Amino acid sequence: MKSIFKGLGVFLFLIFPSVLFAHDVSSADQGILNSGGLFSYIYVGAKHMLTGYDHLLFLAGVVFYLSSFKDIVKFITVFTIGHCITLTGASYLGITANEHLVDAVIALSVFYKGFENLGGFKKLKVKSPNLLLMVFLFGLIHGFGLATRLQSFAIGSKQFLLKILSFNLGVEVGQILALIPIVFIITKWQKKESYQAFYKAANTYLILIGLFLFAYQLYGYFN
Amino acid sequence: MKKRIFTLLCIAIFCSHDMYLKMDTYFIKPNEKSKIQLFNGTFDKSENVIDRDRMLGVSLVGNGKRTKVEDDQWLDKDSITILSFKSGNEGTWVAGLSTKSKDFAMTADEFNEYLEHDGVLDMLAQRKANNTLEQDAVERYSKHVKAIFQVGDQKSEDWNTVLGYPIEFVPMQNPYDLHTGAVLKVKLLKNGAPLVNQLVYADFKAQKNGHSHDDSDEHAHSSTDESHSHSSEKEHSHDDAGNHIQENETHSHANEKEHSHSDEKEHAHANGETHSHSDEKEHAHTNGETHSHLDEKEHAHENGETHSHSDKKEHTHENEDHQHDKSDENHIHTTGQQLRTDSEGIIDVTLTNDGIWFLRTINLVTSEEEGLTHESNWATLTFETKHSHSQSEIADHSHEEEGIPSYLFWVLSAVVVAILFFWFNRKK
Repeated sequence: MKSIFKGLGVFLFLIFPSVLFAHDVSSADQGILNSGGLFSYIYVGAKHMLTGYDHLLFLAGVVFYLSSFKDIVKFITVFTIGHCITLTGASYLGITANEHLVDAVIALSVFYKGFENLGGFKKLKVKSPNLLLMVFLFGLIHGFGLATRLQSFAIGSKQFLLKILSFNLGVEVGQILALIPIVFIITKWQKKESYQAFYKAANTYLILIGLFLFAYQLYGYFN
Repeated sequence: MKKRIFTLLCIAIFCSHDMYLKMDTYFIKPNEKSKIQLFNGTFDKSENVIDRDRMLGVSLVGNGKRTKVEDDQWLDKDSITILSFKSGNEGTWVAGLSTKSKDFAMTADEFNEYLEHDGVLDMLAQRKANNTLEQDAVERYSKHVKAIFQVGDQKSEDWNTVLGYPIEFVPMQNPYDLHTGAVLKVKLLKNGAPLVNQLVYADFKAQKNGHSHDDSDEHAHSSTDESHSHSSEKEHSHDDAGNHIQENETHSHANEKEHSHSDEKEHAHANGETHSHSDEKEHAHTNGETHSHLDEKEHAHENGETHSHSDKKEHTHENEDHQHDKSDENHIHTTGQQLRTDSEGIIDVTLTNDGIWFLRTINLVTSEEEGLTHESNWATLTFETKHSHSQSEIADHSHEEEGIPSYLFWVLSAVVVAILFFWFNRKK
């Protein structure tokens, strides 16, 4: 029981910086982008990744499924390639979509990961799609969401590509910063007796929150 | 040859110039090296620098304190006079500058043209009504310019500082408390008192990828296409540098005239403005009036007057700060919203678009002083407007302002995971 409280304590402690970081400052971000150089794009990109809970939830879902560090690196790399393609390409070409719809699909990716982690496909007696391929496809969707977000800022046409790449770099920095506690918690907890309960709780939560965010975004789209 | 050079010289030096204090961005960081550019020409292009001995009352106001700007803080670069300064603490700041007056003699035709092109329509109407269009003029003019900018996020009360210039704009609200789509009330003061029934022009220069919030709720902003729409019925396109594209250009003017320029040409107007027109350039105006420039010499105006500008026409003027570049396409000074101050000297400026807004007015009155016929005081004010990300028309961003607050999300998530964890753990 003591180890359970200890584990949860570590979990709460590690997400606490994200709580503090996640202040609603979109207009301030625009100000930062206006007055700063390329570093401001790195900063805003990193901040967006750290405060963008849907991206982090999906990443957590991916990490939960994997047991070796090598696999974690492989899957995260595929996810990164996927979101880099759409983030850079869509931003550069000015391709955008309704943010509610994009975020609704991203929410489904969170649901999907929780569902798969809990053996949802097995229970339905359906062969689960290739995980690496799915992570790549969801990476593309998450990247498109990031591109839509970036395009909601007035970034100008000067150093346009460099700004996009800087934002992308920031996203990767943010992703690494976010992954450190996620991987730390999950890999540490894997050795504990209570891990199965934590695994079930976290992935059940991913299913619930995925559905909730999906409904929330659809509500936003239709209203 | 001498005559040709003389003609070119006359063309070059005979123009009216607006003056603006401009910044690349009006949102700057605290305690950071910053620059304000003094443009004398149009909002888009400065034609010449301003001598320090012509500057009066140059001030920076912020954190409740007015600071005099020293001469050595200015430097000249090309045709722009640049003020370097270190921004202070967070707050809304005001920069201001006034110039010493100068006298300027014009023939009747030149004066009338200047009144028309610079939108001093009340004086033009007065001359028509008094049948004094044929009278030459000697005008004493001075310019008084302000810029309001935001340092950091925190707002302060310095935005409404009255600098005590002969004429000046003073906003009634902090422009940085407002966002695109809002209406900004601005008071015009002359010698400290509200100036009533004065014509004011308000226009903006879109920042890259800016939004518009016009009646049609239409806006376009992409990385490669800078096109945008304006509620002021103005349409134009820009090149990458933000300049007007010269070919197939279409835009409307506050003075609601339509004219076309059928070939590439360069000519000088009676008010001294020199400008060139490229092929296929059209100006569309809202009242349906049309006039064309078929060659270098003829103009047809809305009042039915047609007059010519001969290449051989000579003007002699000594005023160096009246000069336009021949390629300057932004020679019209009366674009944007045409407003008139009410009984309290106030105008309502609808901030239709993201971008740098510039207000301008020329208060021109007759003068009884010996050697003068008129006296004018010019005022401009610049500031920047951005759209609000919290506005309902801006798409919802789930991560930040419109979505679930992140801190709430994470706290609730931790609670839910904890509850689920204990439930699964107990079940085990």
